[in-house]
Amino acid sequence: MSSHGLLLAAYVPGSSLIHRAPLWLKFLLVVGCGMASFLIADWAVSAVVMTLLCGLFLLSGAGPARLLRAVRPVLPVLLAIGLFQWWQLGAPTAARIVLNVLVCVVAASILTATTPVQALLDGVASLARPFRRFGADPERFALTIAIMLRSIPFVAGAYMDVRDSARARGLERNPRALVLPVFISTVAFARQTGEALAARGLGEPEDPED
Amino acid sequence: MTQTENPTKARAPRRRSRWNATDLGLIAVFAALVAGSALIAAIPVGGLGVPITLQTLAVMLTGLALGPARAFAAVGLYLLLGFAGLPIFSGGRSGLGVLAGPSAGYIIGFLLAATAVGWLAVVVLARTAKRTGKLRPILLFAAAMVSSIIFIHGLGILGMMVNAKLDFSKAFLADLAFYPGDIIKNVLAVSIALALHKAFPDLLLRRVRTADTRP
Repeated sequence: MSSHGLLLAAYVPGSSLIHRAPLWLKFLLVVGCGMASFLIADWAVSAVVMTLLCGLFLLSGAGPARLLRAVRPVLPVLLAIGLFQWWQLGAPTAARIVLNVLVCVVAASILTATTPVQALLDGVASLARPFRRFGADPERFALTIAIMLRSIPFVAGAYMDVRDSARARGLERNPRALVLPVFISTVAFARQTGEALAARGLGEPEDPED
Repeated sequence: MTQTENPTKARAPRRRSRWNATDLGLIAVFAALVAGSALIAAIPVGGLGVPITLQTLAVMLTGLALGPARAFAAVGLYLLLGFAGLPIFSGGRSGLGVLAGPSAGYIIGFLLAATAVGWLAVVVLARTAKRTGKLRPILLFAAAMVSSIIFIHGLGILGMMVNAKLDFSKAFLADLAFYPGDIIKNVLAVSIALALHKAFPDLLLRRVRTADTRP
């Protein structure tokens, strides 16, 4: 898995009205839909909201295939829940429960499909700004985010390497042999990263106490 | 006994500014480890080939290896970036929509379980510093089981009750399916954590010891 694939997974470039809407507005939409899913008690209302959101998603120019891909991971679970609740509570309630979850998923994917990952991460990093007066350090926070993103390909690669070498030694059924080297090399990698940062004067607290 | 790694104190940002670059590296890389463990294909274990994902293993290990404050930060960072839209939740899911799904409780539970097991691990490691033998692994395993039952399974059941509108007994039954895998993963997590502390003695242990000797 390449980091590029990971970072570009959800974003669909475009210049629609939704692409140009401010991040906080789209975030508000997601939170609002989350709240609404607890308040809506009629499945018809859920269906209307769901239709509106799907329309909004398609308005962004991302296309129906993207919409399907966004909801596909939750579909098997929703199908199971829907059938079970249909049997337990009847069709209207089951439809409401399933539609309310779908509303939240589609709303969240409108946000991720129309916002570049970098803008999303900048938004997350700026979350630390109001806490500056309590001692939070937005720059160290952003630095930590950047290191984490850079490390995901390393971790994925470590898993592959270890799996290959365990297979070569005939240990592919031994969970400890499959996992322990990953964690050892990950901790070593983390400490090397820390030392590399410290050597460049990055990431240290502003006024060290010792 | 004085505890510098007290979770309630450590959660206050004033404490956080004392983390040095190595701590930041550990937090970031363990967050990546949790993400990576959710993404890789499940590994078949034993002759039955029952697939397990390694995510809860990585979460519990983060707590056991880093202690409460840094584990809270690492798992919190993972959740934050997942909610922001990176496809790093299991099955490549992402975004706040996950909070509406039936697995929402488990995802929130990760954060609390990692913190709780980290706090218990510090206590266990400090109390058993001079003993050799089976006591330490057994106590660490008990700590991991208690944390995951209370927080991961507890909140997981709650999440299914709230989001999938299951009643308690049905949610409890649905959750039972995760227990066998969890026990295996906690055994594995403790064994790996002990190996990690042996390979990197100052990862958490020496911190505990210096905390003890400090006046």
